Amino acid sequence: MTYTRTNVYENGGDFSNPTILWYARGVAAMQARALADPTSWRFYAAIHGIDRRLWTHYGYLSPSDQMPAQDQIDLFWNQCQHGTWYFLPWHRGYLLALEATIREVVTGLGGPSNWALPYWNYFAPDEFKLPPAFASPDWPDGKGNNPLFIKQRWGPKNNGDVYVPLDQVNLDALNEPEFTGVASGGSPGFGGVDTGFEHNGSPHGLLENQPHDMVHVFVGGRNPANRVLPGLMSYPPTAGLDPIFYLHHANIDRLWEVWVREPTSLGNPTEAQWVNGPASIGGHPFVMPNPPKGTPWYYTPGDVADLANLDYVYDNMSPAGVTAAVAERLERLHLAAGAAMEGAARMATTRHNVELVGAHDQELRIAGSAEVRATVRLDAPAHRRMTANLAAAAPEMAPAAAPDRVFLNLEKVRSLSDATVLQVYVNVPDGANPADYPERWAGNVGLFGASQATAADGEHGGAGLTFVLEITHVVNTLHLQNELDALEVRIVPFDEVPEEAEVRVGRVSVFRQGR
Amino acid sequence: MRVRVPLLAIGAAAWLALVLAPVGPAHGSMHSMRWTPVSLVTEAALMFMAMMVPLSGAPVRHVRDRSFACRRWRAVALFAASYALPWIATTVVLLIAAAWIVAADSPVVLALAVVVVAVCQSSPQKQHCLNRCHAHPALAAFGVKADLDVLRFGLSHASWCIGSCFALMLLPMLFTRGHLAVMAGVTLWLAGERIEKPMLPRWRWRGPGKIVRVARGQVRVWAKRFEKTRSCASRPHCMQGPDIL
Repeated sequence: MTYTRTNVYENGGDFSNPTILWYARGVAAMQARALADPTSWRFYAAIHGIDRRLWTHYGYLSPSDQMPAQDQIDLFWNQCQHGTWYFLPWHRGYLLALEATIREVVTGLGGPSNWALPYWNYFAPDEFKLPPAFASPDWPDGKGNNPLFIKQRWGPKNNGDVYVPLDQVNLDALNEPEFTGVASGGSPGFGGVDTGFEHNGSPHGLLENQPHDMVHVFVGGRNPANRVLPGLMSYPPTAGLDPIFYLHHANIDRLWEVWVREPTSLGNPTEAQWVNGPASIGGHPFVMPNPPKGTPWYYTPGDVADLANLDYVYDNMSPAGVTAAVAERLERLHLAAGAAMEGAARMATTRHNVELVGAHDQELRIAGSAEVRATVRLDAPAHRRMTANLAAAAPEMAPAAAPDRVFLNLEKVRSLSDATVLQVYVNVPDGANPADYPERWAGNVGLFGASQATAADGEHGGAGLTFVLEITHVVNTLHLQNELDALEVRIVPFDEVPEEAEVRVGRVSVFRQGR
Repeated sequence: MRVRVPLLAIGAAAWLALVLAPVGPAHGSMHSMRWTPVSLVTEAALMFMAMMVPLSGAPVRHVRDRSFACRRWRAVALFAASYALPWIATTVVLLIAAAWIVAADSPVVLALAVVVVAVCQSSPQKQHCLNRCHAHPALAAFGVKADLDVLRFGLSHASWCIGSCFALMLLPMLFTRGHLAVMAGVTLWLAGERIEKPMLPRWRWRGPGKIVRVARGQVRVWAKRFEKTRSCASRPHCMQGPDIL
């Protein structure tokens, strides 16, 4: 049977949509199961990650809970793949297993045997708000016990109004031709960086950063009573407890397939290390508990990469808002339109040629609502190479050459709070409000996972996260206006950053990627 | 590749020098030869290059990638110097200590040394050092500050690296025979520890886990590929499918 994942906003996103009602019943049944049961809601959440201190603080773990056997914990828990090129396939398998578990409950309760997980496409018109079924403590089966309602979901302004601010998210990732990126300052790729045998904290892939991280942080927000504590969705070790998590990830999964079908996409990796998964290079295998008894299901990226080989489809594959940015950019730089596709391919094949162009050497500290500025000094020879390359893309030059792409890096970002979004602008005139200059907007970063990366004994050894934002559009404009002498970067907190979060940016740097 | 190949080449050259040296560990004379300051430092430098240089891909890549193209060689050279010097000095001390332990020719002293190695290997401090080896700091890009940052990074990386590896480094030095074979085993062991993900420091025995898992994973991949090739021999388009485990 082929299952169809549908938009959660069918019938307005409330309980009149039977898919949501049955999802809620499935979640309720899983929530009622003991933590040690591999098909319970909390066990599934812990597969993504568990922070026992915060789970206990928020009431999801109590001393009376019997923990699973240690071998079960070692096998299943804390698997989530963030900042690796396995991010998309691992989450696809995670959704498949959860969906199968809920479907098993649904059919057991007499529900539809073709039930499938809905997705939340916040980019669709008027669908940016949390679906109503998730926002009320009441539901058709009871008062005050809606299993889809979560108290620790505070939204972008930390006041319980949960929505995705559409001016802060985008689908630019879909314009990236290559799945695999580089960790050396250039594009981190659509799906992330080849993490190899040794994981030293690679930047998040483009789709992972935007919209994935951003939606996590905007939906979860931070605890208004203790502003360092995150909402469930804002923090990887609690995110899986929130039922909206799986609808958000179904949309991310859908966007992966949208990207695969994009004409400019060069497709999924074919390297054996990706296809065979981390187990082939000494990492933890992808493994999920399958219903009804939670028997382990092992899978690899190669098993789940092609949707045609799986048993589900999406009812709509329109991405909402994608532009053919590569072609657009080449045309703006007066390159022959016919060369656009060729240009995309060239951009893809030059991914290893990355060079530092400029940097701001001082560490930046971000607190409160005040913007922080950094002047990126450009290295003269690197600057010359970049501008020469941009000039070579002009019409009088032949043969047509693909211009460099330029990336802004926020290196070694450390924070004790993940629930922080930073807006980054480049060369906004002095005294002007950055919000009035959308064309100078480099992008946003959401600090999803930053607190774990800041911990000295965490996965990154305390070095923090590095975020990569493409600023070729800004550099193009500055180049055409002969203003490409220095880059003035402004970092504007989306919301007030508490002092206790200790948000720091180790270095702001600019890289060119091209010939 | 631009970093890994030169580092592996340096490591291979050092191994070759150790094997071909007219005197020294490969010839069972490690503890009977007369050390001079030069031979001691040479021996320590060769051990460092053979065992540690191949493991330093990630920090060297960090220094190279985060420096201007015109400064890359200089930055890598400064990092190499500040990383190598503390290591070579430590290895000299370890060689002297090992020579003393072997010269003592006492089972009690030897047992004590092995216990010290085992305790260090299992300690939470070792895990903390291993974790910190994964931390690569932000580096200044311009001027003297860039040089100082790279030097500081080399020194701090060396200190975490020494903290996590010194005990195991001592082990091959205690072997008067088969020194190079034990040294090769310890190098693989250290490589396995280095590529393991950071984890919470606590008392536990640490084996060369990941290197074994990598080997096992690769054997499975090749076995699967072999099986697929065999079963596809009579079907022309069979091999075009995804290469799945």
